[in-house]
Amino acid sequence: MQFGAEPNEFSWIINLAFFAFIMIFSLYGQKIQMWQWLKQIEMGLIELKKMAVESRQTAIDTFKAYGRDVEFIAKEIDRWSDFFTIMPVDLDPSGVLERIDHLFEQRSDRFKEFVAELAPEATDSEKLSLENTLEVAQVLGLIFRIVRHFYILGKKTGSTIIVMQVQMQMPELLRLAKAYHGAIDAFAQGKPIGDTIGPLIVTKFAREYGATPDSYVQEVTREVGYYKIDVDRRTVYVVRATGPGGTVGKPGFAIKKLVDEHKEKVTRIITIDAALKLEGERMGRVAEGTGAAIGDIGPEKHAIEQTATEQGIGIEAIVIKENEEVAVGVMDKRVLDAVPEVIERIKSAIQNRTKEGDYVILAGIGNTIGVGL
Amino acid sequence: MGALSKIIGLAIAAAGAFLLWWGLTPEMEGLSLILFFLGIILMSIGSSILFSGKSRSEKEEEPEPPTVTELQCQNPNCDFKEIRDFEKGDYILKEMEQRCPKCEGTMMIEGIYIVRKEEEKPEF
Repeated sequence: MQFGAEPNEFSWIINLAFFAFIMIFSLYGQKIQMWQWLKQIEMGLIELKKMAVESRQTAIDTFKAYGRDVEFIAKEIDRWSDFFTIMPVDLDPSGVLERIDHLFEQRSDRFKEFVAELAPEATDSEKLSLENTLEVAQVLGLIFRIVRHFYILGKKTGSTIIVMQVQMQMPELLRLAKAYHGAIDAFAQGKPIGDTIGPLIVTKFAREYGATPDSYVQEVTREVGYYKIDVDRRTVYVVRATGPGGTVGKPGFAIKKLVDEHKEKVTRIITIDAALKLEGERMGRVAEGTGAAIGDIGPEKHAIEQTATEQGIGIEAIVIKENEEVAVGVMDKRVLDAVPEVIERIKSAIQNRTKEGDYVILAGIGNTIGVGL
Repeated sequence: MGALSKIIGLAIAAAGAFLLWWGLTPEMEGLSLILFFLGIILMSIGSSILFSGKSRSEKEEEPEPPTVTELQCQNPNCDFKEIRDFEKGDYILKEMEQRCPKCEGTMMIEGIYIVRKEEEKPEF
């Protein structure tokens, strides 16, 4: 190596290159980095836009089978893609859950009204699945528009912090968008998704004890009903949302209503739901614990906890682990294979932690798309 | 395009490595630093071309496997099961009009699912 050699006729080139290197990277290093980040965001945006456009097209194709022309549907879907919900003020938290619940009921009513207008020939069950299709298309459009907003804003203002945050969150945003993009086909065709595992398990459990679609008591609360069955001389109310259309209903309020009706007779509430698995965990793994397994924004979980605490009712949960892609995508075989194990755990919970003559509420939480009564 | 860019990247990186080696030989005393830096720059460019492109997780995703419907005979003494492609209108626990070809019992949809590729087993 000649680094210690005497200067020669080419030394000035090395010196010049060295200083140029220092100058360029100290003055423009951050700009080069920003440029790289912006390019990475652009690549992500292209993918997000593709997913948003495809989901919009799928929604249009799905709706056109129900009595409206394509132009009208496209125009209305574009109008609806901007629909928003303003969360209630929480500076004064008193009564915030009631207000959230009220707002979400209003939102749900508007969705129903819109779907009825856009698909007049759809059955009630189909309308529920169409609502889900619309929601997925709306979410994908929203993700794209938000990311684009921060990309343009970051570029316009030259703000490193804005660009850096978007670039760092991009893999997670793409993962989420891909999960929803994969789900739109399931919703459009009425296929069961990973999240339907809760209602499916409780229905299969109820059927083992003689429940039939005719024995299902409809509309205890919005889109939720129950089967009343006898399990080893215990009365079990099996709560789930109606199906096979796609709805989650309001099972939390249905549980509260049943407890209010039967008061101290109810000794146990068991909730069954899908839960997000940790990376590295096996798909379809079953876990159990204490508390209400329900992933709503707050009001329903609060209703279950409140009523259980007031009446001193034991509350437990059994969850089936899955990732986001499987939870909103078509049902995975590994998740479906968990059904017998969960049914055994329910039987064991009822036998070991309740007495003869007790009332038990078993609730299957989740979307009921593709799961019959 | 993928293979071609890899070949070009490899060629540039190899050229860089050669220049680096050449710069280290005693007879190149005067040009050694220039060759050294040129070699490093070429190797950097070559390796960035060689390793650029989509990572494994970003590669074009495989299409989702087909959704299947699993029908089962409801007669407890019959184990007949049929798996077919999903048809619109299918839902789990739907009682089918078709009868069991084995015992004439009623058929019901027991499952609708897809078989996704197994995830890689974690190292720990």
